[in-house]
Amino acid sequence: MTEKDIPEWLLKNENYVPQLDRDTFVNKSITSLLSVLSHIRRQSGHKTDLFGINAAFSVIFTILFVVLLSVSRGLVFVITANVYLLFMLCFLKSEDIVVILKTSFGVAIFTFIILLPTALYGNFYSIAMITPKVFASVTAVNILSRSTRWNSITGALKTFFIPDIFILVLDITIMYITMLGEFSLDMLYALRLRSVGKNKSKHTSLAGIAGTMFIKSKEMAEDTYAAMECRGFTGEYRIYRKFKFSFADALYIIANVLIILCFIYFGRYLRK
Amino acid sequence: MHIPDNYLSPSTCAVMGAAMVPVWNMAVRKVKKDIPKEKIPLLGIGAAFSFLLMMFNVPIPGGTTAHAIGATLLAVLLGPWPAAISITIALLIQALLFGDGGILAFGANCFNMAFVAPFAGYFIYKFIKERVSAGKGEYIGIIAGSYIGINMAALCAAIEFGIQPLLFKNAAGLPLYSPYPLSVSVPAMMISHLAIAGVAEVIFTVAIYAFIKKVSPGMIYEGAKQKIKPVYAIIVALICLSPLGLLATGTAWGEWGLDEIKDVVISGKSLGFIPEGMKNGFNFNALFPDYAIKGVPDIVGYILSALAGVAILIIIFKIVSTFKKSKREKLQS
Repeated sequence: MTEKDIPEWLLKNENYVPQLDRDTFVNKSITSLLSVLSHIRRQSGHKTDLFGINAAFSVIFTILFVVLLSVSRGLVFVITANVYLLFMLCFLKSEDIVVILKTSFGVAIFTFIILLPTALYGNFYSIAMITPKVFASVTAVNILSRSTRWNSITGALKTFFIPDIFILVLDITIMYITMLGEFSLDMLYALRLRSVGKNKSKHTSLAGIAGTMFIKSKEMAEDTYAAMECRGFTGEYRIYRKFKFSFADALYIIANVLIILCFIYFGRYLRK
Repeated sequence: MHIPDNYLSPSTCAVMGAAMVPVWNMAVRKVKKDIPKEKIPLLGIGAAFSFLLMMFNVPIPGGTTAHAIGATLLAVLLGPWPAAISITIALLIQALLFGDGGILAFGANCFNMAFVAPFAGYFIYKFIKERVSAGKGEYIGIIAGSYIGINMAALCAAIEFGIQPLLFKNAAGLPLYSPYPLSVSVPAMMISHLAIAGVAEVIFTVAIYAFIKKVSPGMIYEGAKQKIKPVYAIIVALICLSPLGLLATGTAWGEWGLDEIKDVVISGKSLGFIPEGMKNGFNFNALFPDYAIKGVPDIVGYILSALAGVAILIIIFKIVSTFKKSKREKLQS
């Protein structure tokens, strides 16, 4: 190829500087989607549940714990509950601890501010009781969600005789959040890459993303159900897992029995 | 050895606090430079050890009590600078949550227990280890280091107590703060620590060091296998045993409450008055004073306090470790 064959416009120096465009909303959607997705992926990446406690125990005791906490009327039980949670928390990974404490403190501070007027009118009981209760409940649920995989939680739900349809919906929802999230992430990337310079129709493409997502989800739902039926799924969940009672389970049950005893002794009455 | 508020004059507290500032500064810099991200949670475990050991009060004939610190143990396991930080944080939690040691006297307490004790212990340990043949030298060093370390700290505390009546008096010549001069405070503190608390410190230090060396040598030598579970196991065991510290009913020397100080008997005489500076002094209400929780039996309160303290210390250092970049992240940036 000689120099003549090359078209003239290719030889010219270009100095095209794309106009700056505001695309914060695209970036924000991307980061928020990524954070949800990475959370779910990290969950499915865990080989075993943290602590090695059977998910059935941790689900039932966490629910019981939150109920006991909300009906308790003595500060001593609330303090004990918080100490227990802190102790559980210190075994988690550093990153998880930071995330959990951020949420719990955020919610607790919010509660404190909401209840501040009651304290100004002289009712110190509710501010002293409700704030630590909220802190403990949020921490307890977060510890459960951070330390136990979601598929073991759905497995645990089956042990409590929860109807299959609920488990099916829950299971598929979690799966779909990942898959649809990945699709929309790809589309957002595409939108960002394809808009060079000022792109005024970016907001309208967002409607396109939502529409595509809807069609996609409908197709996928049909496909999934068909695939599951082909593989012999009749709408019934069965657990194919041998139940093993481990040392960690025993410790966990002992700790929780102690908490319940503590509730019986200190939690029911208002002591001054 | 936790000096409460109002036993030392505010000016003494300020001087001791100022003396600690360069130490803390240096310690933070050393830890930032030398300790990798993965090892920072170990500082929390060290702080938890120290916190628990200080809860084991040992009774001393004469009705007072004393306790071990674990300073030399931490200095040998982590290095003296990290040990200073660990013990400082443990003392801070004790002062803020449990009212053990004063807020104003925090600098003085840190000077005695977080600076003098680990550094004295560590350098004696090193000195002996380098001069005595390998196997024995290590343990002789630890024994001598821990015994001398805690006694140096006690001596410093005794001197801080003892100079108060010399320097601060009211118009009538009565002491404003700690009422006992050096001739009383030094023997009182030193006899109890030389005879009993020092021995307790040596026993704890050697036992825990030997255990860690056996099950998780990675905490001591670079590259050896490091198991964290057995270390957690000792911590849990210490928490369960912590109510033993309640068996010693007396108050430690120099830690009397306002209601007690009048009746303290030293060489056959009770004091008979409350020093002025103490009566109208600074007063801080800790959340769980003296490791007790209102409406709970003492033993349960003690265990809960131990659990809470340990958990908070480990969590604090785990959170600190997230601020630090790991080696991989450093290479990427």
